[in-house]
Amino acid sequence: MTTCLRGGRAFALTAAVFIGLLVPAGGVLAHGPDPAFSGGSFGQDQVLRFRWRSGSEPSPAIKTAIKEAAADVASSRSSRAAMFTYDAAGANPIGYGVGATCGVNGLACFTRDAPKGFTMWLREQGHVFDWGTLKWCQSYTTAPNGCYDAETIALDEFGHVESLDHHVNYSTNSDYEDAVVQTFSSTKPSTGWNRHTFGRCDSATLQLKYDVTSSSAKVSTCLDVATVLTLTASSVSIPTGGTTTLTARLNAVASASYGRLSGNALGGRTVTLQRRATGTSTWATVGTMPSGSLGGTYVVAQRPTADTQYRAVFTTPTNEGINGDTSPTVAVDVVTCTTVASSDVAIAIPCA
Amino acid sequence: MTRWSTRADRSDGRAVRAVATPGVAAFVLACLLAACGGAIRPAGASGSAVPPVASPSGPAAGVARSAHPSDAGPPAATLVAEGGDPVVGQLGSFTWGGGGSDSPWLPGRPVVVGAGEPLTVNVADGVDVSAWTARRVSAGTSDGTNGVGLGGGPAPITFAAPGPGSWSIQVVVTYADGLGSGAYYWQVTVR
Repeated sequence: MTTCLRGGRAFALTAAVFIGLLVPAGGVLAHGPDPAFSGGSFGQDQVLRFRWRSGSEPSPAIKTAIKEAAADVASSRSSRAAMFTYDAAGANPIGYGVGATCGVNGLACFTRDAPKGFTMWLREQGHVFDWGTLKWCQSYTTAPNGCYDAETIALDEFGHVESLDHHVNYSTNSDYEDAVVQTFSSTKPSTGWNRHTFGRCDSATLQLKYDVTSSSAKVSTCLDVATVLTLTASSVSIPTGGTTTLTARLNAVASASYGRLSGNALGGRTVTLQRRATGTSTWATVGTMPSGSLGGTYVVAQRPTADTQYRAVFTTPTNEGINGDTSPTVAVDVVTCTTVASSDVAIAIPCA
Repeated sequence: MTRWSTRADRSDGRAVRAVATPGVAAFVLACLLAACGGAIRPAGASGSAVPPVASPSGPAAGVARSAHPSDAGPPAATLVAEGGDPVVGQLGSFTWGGGGSDSPWLPGRPVVVGAGEPLTVNVADGVDVSAWTARRVSAGTSDGTNGVGLGGGPAPITFAAPGPGSWSIQVVVTYADGLGSGAYYWQVTVR
């Protein structure tokens, strides 16, 4: 089995998370991408237009917070997940107030029917629960401790609409800030109370569901995607003084468990070319291979003077969730074309 | 539009007897909720720590359960200590049937147990559990980010009661078959 979750967790967990069945690997829940709903997804980059529910319009401050949360989705989705924008004629109602259908204890709630649309509700300022009275921070000039940030809560709901289920934290919840979509909402000034971007484990699932924005876009560090690096030579037999063009290709491993990332070309990374004389064992670094014209390719020309073996190396980066790989070796032979001139001395002549 | 009338909501803290089979569990729960009326107070609980939950507001109240769990909201969950009456948990955040709701860390339904006593959580209505985690914070604390893990893994949901004190315990359940997840809370006084 391919290991793919950073920290040594099994690849199977990502698969389970992705299909919404958080089957624990080894019997213990572990940190990873947010679980995803098993239902459908919205289209890549689909724009979901929302309006205020008639008769249940949010207060101006809450409207602003919801709109800002929609902007937070766009700026932090790190993927081609759906986006949200206000449109007075939008098909998707967002309500506020006593009509909220969020169960007894809910601050906010949602329904989703991908790819058609969604609904959202936020409880009204001052709503009395059996555990306390709801305070939205946006309702105050100076937000008091114990208030809930409506922008954060709305971002959480938008995450749900995208397909995210609640993040499964470490047993201590020490990774609470890895996700906005959490099993409990925090008040000021607790950890994460005013987070206005998706966490890395939110965006990880969005990437699995909706893909990254380009071949050079970073893969969430909440993932641990295996890669495959190949290397080819335009010619594996060249004359002395000749040139061969080496092309490396870096891709995510093709696997259904990687969702939309499966088999993706990975461009804009640092791929290093190494060489050694045929028959020797020590590799020497030639240098970094420049990006090619095709996404995920890295190309460099070489003019070996003797038989040489090459390989490409992609070292596991620290700033994204993909694993390093080393290509198989490519041998390039330098062929000396020998002809006998009109003398007793054999003269090496480059092949035509 | 989905209106969330959760089974746990409707239980409103009434303790119900844990049963062995899902079908019987559903039947007994329905009987208790529909006919028994009065609360069965958990052993040792004053009943005053968590006031009665108001009736579900709006059209959600009184929505009949349908045959498919997705139509009826997430299931209730009960915590059972050895020799004690089952206590229905307070439902927090959940996802279920194409929707969901987000809540803070809740104080939970009161229950008194002995230190180290095995605690079992049963999810009602025949809903299978694929995974669970349990955490605690000090009672009265609404910030769960400093929680202490009590256990986790696949079903069954069983863990040892923490040491003496008063705790708010959260049990997060991932329902099988991609049905969603739910967070349940109990305010556990450990003797």
